[in-house]
Amino acid sequence: MKEQLVVVGAGMASGRALEHLFESDPDRYEVTLINAEPRGNYNRLMLSPVLSGEKTYEEIVTHDDDWYGENHVTTLFGHAVTRIDRDRRIVVTKSGETAYDKLLLATGSAPFMLPLPGADLEGVMPYRDLDDVNRMLDAAEMNESKAVVIGGGLLGLEAAAGLRLRGMDVVVLHVMGHLMDRQLDASAAYLLQKDLERRDIKVHCKANTKAILGSNRVEAVLLEDGTVYPADIVVMAVGIRPETRIARDAGIEIGRGIIVDDAMRTSDPHILSIGECVEHQGMVYGLVAPLYDQAKVVAKTLLDEEAAFKPVELSTKLKVTGVDLFSAGDFAEGDDREDIVFRDPGRGVYKRLVLKDNRIIGAVMYGDTADGAWFLSNIKDGTDVSGMRDTLIFGPAFAGGAQMDPMAAVAALPDEAEICGCNGVCKGKIVEAITAGGLTTLDQVKAVTKASTSCGTCTGLVEQVLAVTLGDDFVMPTVKPICPCSDLTHEDVRRLIKARELKSMPAVMQELGWKTSCGCHVCRPALNFYLLADWPLEYGDDSQSRFINERAHANIQKDGTFSVVPRMWGGVTNPRELRAIADAAEKYDVPMVKMTGGQRVDLLGVKKEDLPAMWADLNAAGLVSGHAYSKGLRTVKTCVGTDFCRFGTQDSTGLGIKLEKRLWGSWSPHKIKLAVSGCPRNCAEATCKDIGIVCVDSGYQIGVGGAAGMDLKEVEPLASVPSEQEAIDITVAFVQLYRENAKYLDRAYKWIAKVGLEWVKEQVVDDLGNRAALVARFDLSQSVYQVDPWAERASTAAHPEFTPLADFSMPEAAQ
Amino acid sequence: MQARILDTVETAQSFIQATEIWVPDAAGTRLVRSDGLYGLHGAFGSDSSGHSFAMGQGLPGRVWAEGRPIILNDVQDGTFVRADSAERAGLTAAAAVPVYAGNLIKGVLVMLCGDPDFGVGAIEVWHSNNAPGSVMELDGGFYGSAKQFCEVSERTAFKRGQGLPGGVWASKTPMLMRDLGRGYGFVRAESAGAAGLTTGLGIPVPAPGGSSYVLTLLSACATPIARRYELWDVVPGRGGQKAIGALVDGLCDIDGPLWGTERRIQPWQGPVGRAMATGVPVAEVPSGTHRYEGMVALPVHAHGEVTHVVAWFF
Repeated sequence: MKEQLVVVGAGMASGRALEHLFESDPDRYEVTLINAEPRGNYNRLMLSPVLSGEKTYEEIVTHDDDWYGENHVTTLFGHAVTRIDRDRRIVVTKSGETAYDKLLLATGSAPFMLPLPGADLEGVMPYRDLDDVNRMLDAAEMNESKAVVIGGGLLGLEAAAGLRLRGMDVVVLHVMGHLMDRQLDASAAYLLQKDLERRDIKVHCKANTKAILGSNRVEAVLLEDGTVYPADIVVMAVGIRPETRIARDAGIEIGRGIIVDDAMRTSDPHILSIGECVEHQGMVYGLVAPLYDQAKVVAKTLLDEEAAFKPVELSTKLKVTGVDLFSAGDFAEGDDREDIVFRDPGRGVYKRLVLKDNRIIGAVMYGDTADGAWFLSNIKDGTDVSGMRDTLIFGPAFAGGAQMDPMAAVAALPDEAEICGCNGVCKGKIVEAITAGGLTTLDQVKAVTKASTSCGTCTGLVEQVLAVTLGDDFVMPTVKPICPCSDLTHEDVRRLIKARELKSMPAVMQELGWKTSCGCHVCRPALNFYLLADWPLEYGDDSQSRFINERAHANIQKDGTFSVVPRMWGGVTNPRELRAIADAAEKYDVPMVKMTGGQRVDLLGVKKEDLPAMWADLNAAGLVSGHAYSKGLRTVKTCVGTDFCRFGTQDSTGLGIKLEKRLWGSWSPHKIKLAVSGCPRNCAEATCKDIGIVCVDSGYQIGVGGAAGMDLKEVEPLASVPSEQEAIDITVAFVQLYRENAKYLDRAYKWIAKVGLEWVKEQVVDDLGNRAALVARFDLSQSVYQVDPWAERASTAAHPEFTPLADFSMPEAAQ
Repeated sequence: MQARILDTVETAQSFIQATEIWVPDAAGTRLVRSDGLYGLHGAFGSDSSGHSFAMGQGLPGRVWAEGRPIILNDVQDGTFVRADSAERAGLTAAAAVPVYAGNLIKGVLVMLCGDPDFGVGAIEVWHSNNAPGSVMELDGGFYGSAKQFCEVSERTAFKRGQGLPGGVWASKTPMLMRDLGRGYGFVRAESAGAAGLTTGLGIPVPAPGGSSYVLTLLSACATPIARRYELWDVVPGRGGQKAIGALVDGLCDIDGPLWGTERRIQPWQGPVGRAMATGVPVAEVPSGTHRYEGMVALPVHAHGEVTHVVAWFF
């Protein structure tokens, strides 16, 4: 049963709150949205461009009927809530009552109307919503119409500029000494006034309005000093007051606004509030950024999650086309403050920073606001700027001298300039391919022109040609580099190791410009694998570049002990092996002996210092490492085929054993799991393995790219072959192709998704020559790497890393 | 392949039928063609390929000599050197707009239109001598078949800050108006609505001398001037930092409003980036899409730097 959430007010804060709520838990609440305005949520900030004609109302609607429908929001627009009955938990409108479990008040602000004589004449209006905008537009259609705007703050000036664009003669009256006195200092306000006057908007500061004159409708405005301005409309933009009436009448705690805590709860536990109507820690808000933060917080509170509203530093933007203005922080005068000022009179630029204790506390900019965001972040962070005082006013970019622009260099290249040396592709060919072929990505350019398909060093250049040709339609791919030691991706590094024949880690790091002296825990395992895969004879495996499991050749458990899994070929064992495993379990006090999903036995809880001896014992029985820990071949599961099964079509067990004996010991980009099923009943679950073979009457169906872990995926068909030998060859070739091309830690299914199954088929199925070459290279690698690591490490004398550092069996050691 | 086919959209014929960019040659003594989009008028394009214009010669040269935008309602009037070729192509009117960085001419944009009885739209040049109390008056305009709107415009003047020409004049900033048929308190709005003109692009045209010029392109749905508009605000680079262009407004018949998209562009990135970097107008077939036959990126300069780029796609 859903809880009932009633939201009063369809402003910007409530719209955002509902978005957050539905994103997190769309099923918790049944929502009713009530709005006094006869319309839904729209971007009130954009009313000024609608007034001026630079936007339409439709463009600024944020949530339309479709959105309300999709989110099952019941809407009551044009209905003002007149009363809240907190005891019965209902809200009352003229059309009836709506019950709530939770109530969100987002009633916004009411415009403050000066209580002047004549303020109730027709033609006197606030500037708050679309209805006000429409009334202003109606007035603008009158010939030679005149507007007086009372209030030279943000809203008043936006109204003035919009009305002027619509053809009215406009006067702005402002009671303080300069415009936007809360956001600007006098110098910036002077420049702003000049800009407005350039638009023939008359500005009268220190203007105290005495009365609004007219009989039935407004005709003029009278000031205290006797000045009279004729007017067809008077727009009052003198401030807003939080709209708290229904909350106050309901007995909810009120200050200047509806008082809320950090989680946006009011004094009533079932009622929350956000937006311009709230008061939080004594502050009320009239700019949108903090309201959006409040919306995030209230959505969490409604879902019983912890969240707290933290007010942050705000900046101001005046939405008048052609006026470039920025202000943030505190820029009042004071003895403990200092100013840094920059003026460029010819360009109408003024910038002022206010510093206190070597920190920027305020910034005002007019005419050049490019660095506004940077100054704001310095204000928010309280950065100590003492080290950059000399150049601070010039912003973050001051470095002296122009840098060479690589994009300009590429743009300046003639069409004949060679971009890809390996394949002889010039700039003109690439540009033509992009333009004529509608190409938009690097991969498409590579496919069509072959540029960047060999050594890869020209990839950056090709991307720049794309950017120069397409503009911001081409998004420079934000590829993830291999690690912080390098800007190259895994694919780049693999390609370059081959292309430049880099055969050691120092060679890779030196030639490819590694930023660290010896790599890190991320790149070293990857580089180690790439090198041993590409250069099996020349490169020696570096155990220091391996994860603990691969160094210890056992799986570490949560208590620091290890698990030991001997290999059981194709899941088939014999009494001698079972006895050896049982003996080892007893001899080394193994706490748990368990069957694995891979059809073998796991000895769990083995102490590290016992590993070499246990391995020696298992080796003596002919058992080798099951590599249950490695990025290599894990298991080849089988079900019984023609040996015993009534339904067996082929010798699935025999094939599985042959495959395991061929593939074991090889390192690969990630673990490889195989299975061979004797018939389509698939008892070995071959269809969710990296390579899965299902035997049929006519032969063997090979599928690849399955997964049965966090991702669940069925194999895709690679080939159907009549003979066992062919099945083995294709499997081995596939493994080698995967080893030579995949990104380290990409499972086979992820790699296939990147390169495409068709390409894989071409390499290992269709091209017999290539298949044979892959098999040959795999066997070459196996000539080095198919060794039992247990046998290599069975003697602790040779491998002291398995000896404990301290002997806690001796009580004296603990003293 | 499939994606490209879906990307092509049936379009109404454009009001502007050919677009050219002429730039100073290396010696700076003649204007040569750097870009040309001729649509169905390939022959006219070919005829134009050998031409160049000295200062005062032909329409581009005249714009250069007089330092102001010019509209020729009849290309057979003797100014237009390629008059015969234009007649064969059915091109009857031309508008030429100079792009100045201070006193230095960076290029001339030439737009050519066809039969004056076909199509509704407006290409206008507004002028003020900036004397105290002066207004913006129509210096020239081509309106296609919107004859009544033409007559009204000839009788209309705009005060500073008033209407699209006055707004652009006062703010020195390009503007894109959506509904031309509302407000303004005079007959032009009414007749704009009657003519079906809906979108208005206003662009300041800085020029040497003390006068102000504004180019307005008013578009109707039936024969649009453009199907997509982009207004880019350019923050000049300084201290080693690159300039950045930010998309501040725009409209597209398919994508809808383009403001609020947070798009940024660097110098040299695509045609808009090139206009930003070079300060020279660009006209070309846009890459990466088959939606448009052509686009123009027109830079606007102030204080020796590019401060805006206006792009339209048709």
